[in-house]
Amino acid sequence: MPDTPAVIVNHLTKVFKGPLGKGAFRAVHDLSLQVKSGEVYGLIGPNGSGKSTTMKAVLGLLKPTEGSTSIFGIPSTEVSSRHSVGFLPENPYFYKHLTGRETLHFYGSLCDMRGEKLKTRVNEMLALTGLEDAATRRVGGYSKGMLQRLGLAQALIHEPRLLVLDEPTAGVDPAGSRIIRDLIIEFRTRGITVLVTSHLLEQMQEVCDRVGIMAHGRMVREGRLQDLIAVGNQTEMVLENASPELQEKIKALVQAEGGNTRLLRSGQPRTTLERLFIEAANEPKKP
Amino acid sequence: MIDITQNPVSTATPKVRFSPRRVWTLAMATVTQLIRMKILAFLVLFCLLAAGAGFAFSVINPEQQLNLLKSVTLGALQIFSIVIGVVSTALLLPKDLEDRTLYTILSKPVPRFDYLLGKLLGVLLLIGGGLIVMDVVLSLVLWLRQTMLLDSYVASLRLENMDSPEALAQVREIVAKQGLTWNLHWAVWAIFLKAAVVTTVALLLSSIASSTLFTIVITFCVTIIGHGESLIREFFFRPYLSSLAGRSAAFVLAALCPDLAQFDIVDSVVNGETVPWGAIYDMTGIAALYMTVYLFVTHLLFVEKEL
Repeated sequence: MPDTPAVIVNHLTKVFKGPLGKGAFRAVHDLSLQVKSGEVYGLIGPNGSGKSTTMKAVLGLLKPTEGSTSIFGIPSTEVSSRHSVGFLPENPYFYKHLTGRETLHFYGSLCDMRGEKLKTRVNEMLALTGLEDAATRRVGGYSKGMLQRLGLAQALIHEPRLLVLDEPTAGVDPAGSRIIRDLIIEFRTRGITVLVTSHLLEQMQEVCDRVGIMAHGRMVREGRLQDLIAVGNQTEMVLENASPELQEKIKALVQAEGGNTRLLRSGQPRTTLERLFIEAANEPKKP
Repeated sequence: MIDITQNPVSTATPKVRFSPRRVWTLAMATVTQLIRMKILAFLVLFCLLAAGAGFAFSVINPEQQLNLLKSVTLGALQIFSIVIGVVSTALLLPKDLEDRTLYTILSKPVPRFDYLLGKLLGVLLLIGGGLIVMDVVLSLVLWLRQTMLLDSYVASLRLENMDSPEALAQVREIVAKQGLTWNLHWAVWAIFLKAAVVTTVALLLSSIASSTLFTIVITFCVTIIGHGESLIREFFFRPYLSSLAGRSAAFVLAALCPDLAQFDIVDSVVNGETVPWGAIYDMTGIAALYMTVYLFVTHLLFVEKEL
């Protein structure tokens, strides 16, 4: 069933009841969305907009008050739907007394993996997430970035077709954040569907095929990223090694065109602070 | 290149059924977690104290000495097993939820019942393992003590020229009755059963409680009430003792709390009485019944729990 959407959220409403049934809070209101197989879907929105609640409903950790959710056509309320999904919660903690390798072994065993297959898979995941050197260290001594990468490794251990990532770069430094971003891009090239939330919009812009913007428990915008962020009446050209004469010629051409055509700005584009940080951090150590 | 999805378009999704192997994985992780939380260090310290206590009592007579040794160590074992069971269980579930470990476990194809059973089994394995170690230590200490006491008492009888065959036989009989017998192991088994029932109650409460302290306090209250079930029943079946409201409260308590007095054979064992097989079967059956019912209710509550 290659056309079956990876995730279907159908008119989802979630109301949290207060103590003694008073003070009910509607976290998600009549939300519908679909994540197509093989795409990276970004769910963004301010704190308290209902993103995490939606994810939990998709994973079957919460029961919808109304509506339904499914993973590859199987209702999320059925445990079997979780064969196809791996989940990385926000700021995950694992059993501190286990080593990285033991942690992956534990999660693999929970998915009925065993023997040589499990051992091989654990080694693959340690290699993929760059944790081979820390495999025998207890998780209690891991940095935040390493915990996130271990979280990704455990989410992938049973070869899921869908990854659900809740703020995968929260609290991680830009270099670690970049590694996770690259991994998400890698997942997409390998056909894994990714449903991701993040507050780092620049990163979301780099990895997502489609985004949904939530506010107050509702979907307020949804669509292909390029369609949503494109400014329809503007065109961008970036020239390399353009002489001042050529730039003047272009300006003159634009002026000569007349009508509504205007040159809004020109000059040297700036790199991002993130790129500058990564370049500086990766410079060889001076003796 | 590493193949992340070796079977990316596989759509054969097997049904998830109860898996003893999965439960065992969870139980072993729980045991490791508790052991690395220095619970084992506490156990070793306790063993040393118990062993030391065996030689610490002042000389009264062999019967009283052995009696006292069994009474103190078995009493301490009861407290140890219940405290470990309640505190461990009360800590584990909320900690998994707080650390979001529960999310990563339950977002895998793991039924909630398997998770609950794994946690319970892990705590029970730890208590059971601890009690086996303690049983071995206690048996060794008791055997050493009874041998030493017998030797010294026989020597004192000889010194006073009172070592007639009848007197010696009587002393040997008293020491053998109060010393190491199979009854000691049955007492440890009863202690385990009681701790197992209380641990299951703690699991039930921790599945609905919002704080660890609440679980610990209420479970200890249930444990205390459970030891007085006979009084509560008497209160309920004798209308002249109380009002309707009082009797209703007594009924609710009697229905909800386990009758832990069913497992109180320690006093009999301390007094050197023989524990009949029927009593052991009854205790085991009652414990199994309580645990099944409490675990079933826990499952019903936990499966509906919003995480």
